[in-house]
Amino acid sequence: MAKQTFTTGQVLTAAQMTSLQQTAMGGGSTTAKTTSYVLVAADAGTVVQMNAAGATTITVNTALFSAGDTVQIQNVGAGVLTITAGTATVSTSATLALKQYDAGTLYFNTTSAAFFFAVDAADSPLTTKGDLYTYSTVNDRLAVGTNAQVLTADSTAATGLKWATPAASGSMTLLSTTTLSSTSTTISGISAAYQDLLILVYGKTNSGANGSFYLKPNDGAVTLVELNTNTSVISYTADPLYLRNDTYAVDATSAVNSYQILIRNYANTVAYKPFTASGAYTSDRPGIDPWFSNGAVKTNSAISSLVFYITGGGSFTAGTVKVYGVN
Amino acid sequence: MANPMVTIHNTETNEIIEREMTAQEFAAYNAEENAEIARVAAIAKATTDKTALLAKLGITADEAKLLLS
Repeated sequence: MAKQTFTTGQVLTAAQMTSLQQTAMGGGSTTAKTTSYVLVAADAGTVVQMNAAGATTITVNTALFSAGDTVQIQNVGAGVLTITAGTATVSTSATLALKQYDAGTLYFNTTSAAFFFAVDAADSPLTTKGDLYTYSTVNDRLAVGTNAQVLTADSTAATGLKWATPAASGSMTLLSTTTLSSTSTTISGISAAYQDLLILVYGKTNSGANGSFYLKPNDGAVTLVELNTNTSVISYTADPLYLRNDTYAVDATSAVNSYQILIRNYANTVAYKPFTASGAYTSDRPGIDPWFSNGAVKTNSAISSLVFYITGGGSFTAGTVKVYGVN
Repeated sequence: MANPMVTIHNTETNEIIEREMTAQEFAAYNAEENAEIARVAAIAKATTDKTALLAKLGITADEAKLLLS
């Protein structure tokens, strides 16, 4: 029953006692609403139940209720019911937007200030599989990201969180696999989309005499500054990168050779590109000879092609070059 | 006599073509090869000369290093 003012000597009817009992047990008479509504004084001690398909509001104004008055608010409709502070203030730790079957008690601390105590489900903003329960200035929902995204702190986001695709790091992408053939083999059109280039070469044989095997980034439009394993001088300049040491030539028929060349910052258009290279090959002594070279590709241009040459008057008869883009 | 062949693998299109070296490419290739032969020969000569000098002095390479240290 709505809030009553009893008088001395008043005799309550059975119906009044039943209604009081219901109210005391958290129930009470219900005022059904189907459209937005502004609370009135007679709502004190009752249940205001909204049942609407669309969004509605219940507005709370001042000077209607006494301190200690309560109004239960329920939403049984599909539309969201929002408790709106009109001239009174309404404070809550939960949300004032009630989904279907959310409910709570509006408790008036003073005639102009009410607290809304939501029942447990009322403050959950979660609606969809994968939602995260977060907080902005109120309890809030963060919808699930796409596959493989990771949760990332972001102070500019409303909740301080967002789903983001992690930056690629430390990954290698095979750009090409090329079989060595002819007297020179060019690998062109190398993508500039990576940080470094890793070049693996192995199993080279050739039809000519034992000789040299060398690489020209951008086909000789560049020079190298290198420190070679068998060179006594600290700085040595040559056009190509010879994949052999200075003493022993590469055996033409043995496929037992393998090299790796890592060129850093290869797509940069301002600076030289440092490289490190190493490997081993069957030499003409015969024997297995190690080889290494360090230095820089002396060009300001991006490296977009690699050209391998064989000397000795023949052609490559076998050999594989794999080029990886590295981030 | 035909010039040596070159193979070009375009990684953007995955197209592979083979053709003869142009006269300019062949000249650059020969120049590089001759320079390499000369460079290797010079290194070999330096090694031979060093060995001969050590023999003339009657000392080993390690002894020569010790002398120069």
